Amino acid sequence: MGSQKRRRRRKQDRLVLNLLIIVTLVLVVFEGKLVYTMFSHHSSMSEAHATSTAGTTVTSNGSVSESEAKQKPTTALLSESYDTVFGETTLAGLPDKFTTASAPAEKNDTLPTVSDPDSPAIVPKSETSVDDSYFSDAVFIGDSRMEGFRNASGITQGQFFTSVGMSLSSMRSDPIISTSEGNITVAAALSGGLYNKIYIMLGTNDLGEYDWNSFRDGFISTMERFQEIQPTAIIYVCSVIYVDESKASSTQYVNNANVDKVNSILLDICAEKGYYYLDLNEFLSNGYGALIDGASSDGVHLYAKYCQQMLDYLKSHYIEVEASDGEGESEHVTGAETEAAADDENSDTENSGEEEV
Amino acid sequence: MKKWTWIICFAAMTLGLTACGGKKENVSVDIPKLAEELLTTVSSDQLTETASDMLPSIYFYEPDDVASAVAYASSGTTACEIAVIQSKDAKNTEAIEKLLQTRVDNQSALYASYNESEVSRLDDAIIESAGVYTVLCVCDDTDKAEEILDGYGF
Repeated sequence: MGSQKRRRRRKQDRLVLNLLIIVTLVLVVFEGKLVYTMFSHHSSMSEAHATSTAGTTVTSNGSVSESEAKQKPTTALLSESYDTVFGETTLAGLPDKFTTASAPAEKNDTLPTVSDPDSPAIVPKSETSVDDSYFSDAVFIGDSRMEGFRNASGITQGQFFTSVGMSLSSMRSDPIISTSEGNITVAAALSGGLYNKIYIMLGTNDLGEYDWNSFRDGFISTMERFQEIQPTAIIYVCSVIYVDESKASSTQYVNNANVDKVNSILLDICAEKGYYYLDLNEFLSNGYGALIDGASSDGVHLYAKYCQQMLDYLKSHYIEVEASDGEGESEHVTGAETEAAADDENSDTENSGEEEV
Repeated sequence: MKKWTWIICFAAMTLGLTACGGKKENVSVDIPKLAEELLTTVSSDQLTETASDMLPSIYFYEPDDVASAVAYASSGTTACEIAVIQSKDAKNTEAIEKLLQTRVDNQSALYASYNESEVSRLDDAIIESAGVYTVLCVCDDTDKAEEILDGYGF
């Protein structure tokens, strides 16, 4: 009887012991994971800090201030990728040779970036730049390069209808604009608002289109469709930005000869149809009909620095929409023309003042 | 003695499981810091911080529903992106999660015909919420991203 009790007690003790072991195991597994996560979280924080600090020290002329490094947290990452490729130290995300030596010494020797430098369709630079509010009634339509511009330029206003891989054909008919209801066509997206400026960036994905007449006709009909949807809008056509052929060589047709060809067509269309041509290669060309060295990791998509320069370019190359003349028509003048008119007015005032004297 | 053993067992198990299970609802996140930390999970691209004014149109949320948001996006090279969104009300996080999923689905459809290798990256997109915070992370190192998010209570 007594031995039975002892056996039962031993059995119960063993059960409790087993339970305790199970609980201990559960705690070790779960709490261990928690402790591990805490430590790894701490170490990754330290690594991130070390990375950003490293970005402040690896420069050509010494160090960059810590605040600068905090403002540009991705610089360190870019530096890493460049270091991997070039094995060099970097400044502001670019190897020194790219920030200083890539531009041709003699600008006079450089190739023109447009087929007709005297074309009236080319928007000239204005002395004064507009701010982001100029884009409040603008819509930007384009491919991944335009999307990159939205993401990286710092622009704060304007509506963007962009899509990776957008070509003339897909822009005309495919559901490629992302919305909360799924993807819709560009025309449908454009119909959803009222815009006074339309910026188009298209052509990079059409570089393999050798039936240029077909491209030309398709582009014109598409712009006319957009103009129907937004009758008061002025249309800016951005040039196709040059590529870095050494990096973008996976497809043979992505080359700068084709970029020049497409751009000459776009410029002709602008001159013929009264659209405004923005020659982005004015600042993105290396002077020899190609993209500035080091402006892109894949030869096509621009680094943030150049997207920001593009924003500056758009702010200094613009058209002013003058008030209606009373007959329901408005007049468009370039910012540069407005400034010239203002100068004339000032000189007239001065002259008349002299006459009075 | 036996009684106490059982109580200790029960208490330990309850405490252990409570500590390990579920999401924290009252987390407080330094959004820029989390976004910056998640940036370390992207090695194939250089992401840039996108102006916050652009984010409602990219992620489809109503500006009035969101207290703060930070996003890093590619300049077109890859589909990598990181977004950390703080809703004004925790009730909105589920809706924000759905919007972020729509964003990922749309991107997948577009990348399928443009650069198919990015689709698998989008398939692995992380969308998680904790309290009023929702995160989207399309990156190279999803394990590391999960670890970082665990550390923040996601």
